[in-house]
Amino acid sequence: MKNKILTFIFILYIFGFSLAGIIMKDKKISLEERRTLSSLPEYKMESEYVNKLDQYLLEQFPLRNTFRSIKANFNYFVLNTLDNNHIYLKDNYIFKSEYPTNKNSIANFIKVINKNKANLFKDNKVYMMIVPDKNYYLKDDYFLEIDYDYLYKELDSIDATKIDIRDIMKLSYYYETDIHWKQEKLDGVVKKMSEVMNFKYEKQDYQENIYNKFYGGYYGESAINRNPEKLVYLENEELNNVSVKYLENDELKKVYNESKLTGMDSYDVYLDGASSFIEITNDSSSSKKELVIFRDSFGSSIAPLLIPYYHKITLIDTRYITSENYNQLIKFTNQDVLFLYNTVVVNSSFALR
Amino acid sequence: MIFSSVLFIYYFLPLLLLIYFIVPSKFKNLVLLIFSLLFYFLGEPKYIVVLLLSCVLNYIFGKLVYKGKKRKLYLVLAILYNILQLVYFKYTDFFISNVNNFFGLNIPLLHIVMPIGISFFTFQTMAYVIDVYNKKHKPSDSLINFMTYVSLFPQLIAGPIVRYSTVEDELKKREHNFDNFGEGAKRFVIGLSKKVLLANVLGEFAENLITETVLSSWLKPICYTFQIYFDFSGYSDMAIGLGRMFGFHFLENFNYPLIAKSVTDFWRRWHISLSSWFRDYVYIPLGGNRVSKVKFFRNILIVWFLTGFWHGANWNFILWGLYFGIILIIEKVFLSKFLEKTKVLKYIYTLIIVIISFMIFSTDSLGDIGINLKNMFFLNNLPLLNRETLYYLRNYLGLLVIACISATPLMKVLETKLNKTKAKKVMDYVEPFIYLGLLILSTAFLIDESFNPFLYFRF
Repeated sequence: MKNKILTFIFILYIFGFSLAGIIMKDKKISLEERRTLSSLPEYKMESEYVNKLDQYLLEQFPLRNTFRSIKANFNYFVLNTLDNNHIYLKDNYIFKSEYPTNKNSIANFIKVINKNKANLFKDNKVYMMIVPDKNYYLKDDYFLEIDYDYLYKELDSIDATKIDIRDIMKLSYYYETDIHWKQEKLDGVVKKMSEVMNFKYEKQDYQENIYNKFYGGYYGESAINRNPEKLVYLENEELNNVSVKYLENDELKKVYNESKLTGMDSYDVYLDGASSFIEITNDSSSSKKELVIFRDSFGSSIAPLLIPYYHKITLIDTRYITSENYNQLIKFTNQDVLFLYNTVVVNSSFALR
Repeated sequence: MIFSSVLFIYYFLPLLLLIYFIVPSKFKNLVLLIFSLLFYFLGEPKYIVVLLLSCVLNYIFGKLVYKGKKRKLYLVLAILYNILQLVYFKYTDFFISNVNNFFGLNIPLLHIVMPIGISFFTFQTMAYVIDVYNKKHKPSDSLINFMTYVSLFPQLIAGPIVRYSTVEDELKKREHNFDNFGEGAKRFVIGLSKKVLLANVLGEFAENLITETVLSSWLKPICYTFQIYFDFSGYSDMAIGLGRMFGFHFLENFNYPLIAKSVTDFWRRWHISLSSWFRDYVYIPLGGNRVSKVKFFRNILIVWFLTGFWHGANWNFILWGLYFGIILIIEKVFLSKFLEKTKVLKYIYTLIIVIISFMIFSTDSLGDIGINLKNMFFLNNLPLLNRETLYYLRNYLGLLVIACISATPLMKVLETKLNKTKAKKVMDYVEPFIYLGLLILSTAFLIDESFNPFLYFRF
């Protein structure tokens, strides 16, 4: 009897999923993983073909996310592992381990910053703000993290005025399911910047626009079911009246791109997500100062909050544009220059140019 | 293609099962042959020729060595062909690079890609011809059946090394019933779980240990020992299970080697089809133990040199084989008698020897083997442990416990005992769902991974 049941179950199960895989339409993208999925590879007589085919079948497998969730739950709750694919859960927060400290990457980061500074703006006022990733605020005996003391100490060698916000930030200033900080919690950071960068801080009146279905990047990676969280983007008349130019998006003239809220990454609402070169001009500002920010994605959400204090803000992401190219778009005169990166980028800096 | 892939489990296997069980008995071998060749072709398109040539030539050699005056000559030719085929694809670059190093030459390497499974099917075909020559069985009377035997996909690329005599009768006639299929499916799922749930994750554990501590320098080879055991025995389980689904009964390839009482015992339990191959076709023809002591030890060292070299064209594999050869000699001289008197020490001794052996096995450079040994035995001033080692030990502790239990016959004993009680009736209904759970879980782990090669392919 046992073998009859076993045969029946085995056949039903493999044939069932096989048929479902054939019948179901291929998915183009995986929202959870924020990437496009493979399509059926064209046959080529090479040994790699079978790997490509298997990869395609894995990515298009029926109930793929349910299976990923089964694995994650089994690891966390049956095997009692601390992490699953380096994703660590604690107090409703999802963390991703950035361990180990990559000393070569930190050295490379210093080299890239120094090179750009020496070549392009050696006479400008240069500032540097390194945003700790949220693992910095995870107090846990087990968790493996970057050696932050080493990282910040090494970065001290860069000839720039440092804006240290480690004591200003808190874990609650970060999204629970994402790497990023929350724009609505950055008032203290702006205040700290004003002290160091010498602009006059003024409490601003913002209207809070709320998107209630935000699932951060770590949510998809964790494969654990949980409720969405709130993403806030701050607006006021001054922000609405600035002129914004994106190198890659001629049509968008605004600080926020609301169409991205329902896209692959809702955080892309801030300054259209990954953009190599952006110019924000605020003609209503009383300031004549200009600011150039070399930045990563953390810069997208804080830059709008700096608009009242500068006539022009230029954002450059050197992961997507070379100095030869952005040099044709901007002339360095007397702008303030800010390097704004988070510690994860410093620890994996080889994409910076 | 590998068994632990969605392509195999959910597409190749169902399609084969469908066609295989529809066609009449006389076409079943042909269906198996076509699918086996397709299985090989998808993974190594151009080397299908090597496999086909090996099948046809050894089939002819089988006929030639059975009768006639020149049968000895044909035997020598068959052995030469098989050995040269293996040497060319597997060892050419190794020999060139060693000649270059030794004589300071600069002969360019050929960068020959080794056909998958060549070590396994070459040994099968060689054994077939030798056995026919020794009249242990007759040569196959059907090329289709012989090709089906050599290329039979369950055992084609990673063993076990199935002897022709084991499946000779079943190639002609075999039973297809629920018992065979059910037991086969069960064995396949067990093997898949060993590979996906244990071996792969234990490999990930070892890879995560970056900083050196004394504890991590032990944990890495411990993980690797478990990994290679579950990987390879899992593959053998899947091969045996798949064979059973199609009515074949392959011999066991592993018998809980990690509970061995000595290294001699370990090698009676580990990769049985390979050690018995070397015993039957190298050790015994050399005289085995029925010769002088010096020749006896020489025979052991030759066999273990070859065993190591078979596993890979690198010096660490040769060292690994000779390491076992020397320990086996020491056991035969005096150690076995001493170990027999101990209760626990014999198990600890065997495990330590085996763990060190797999450290050698997994370390490419001979210099690094020395460093690893120093690390393991407190000779490199390393800290005993650090935060990283403790984190990963804590992270994978549950898995390590399951691995330890799974490496013993505990579950099998439990199953046998339960089946003798009244619980058997309940178990008959529960057990299939346990295996379904394992299959779902293994699929979940597979989907979460990207690419998943078997370790034993290139040996």
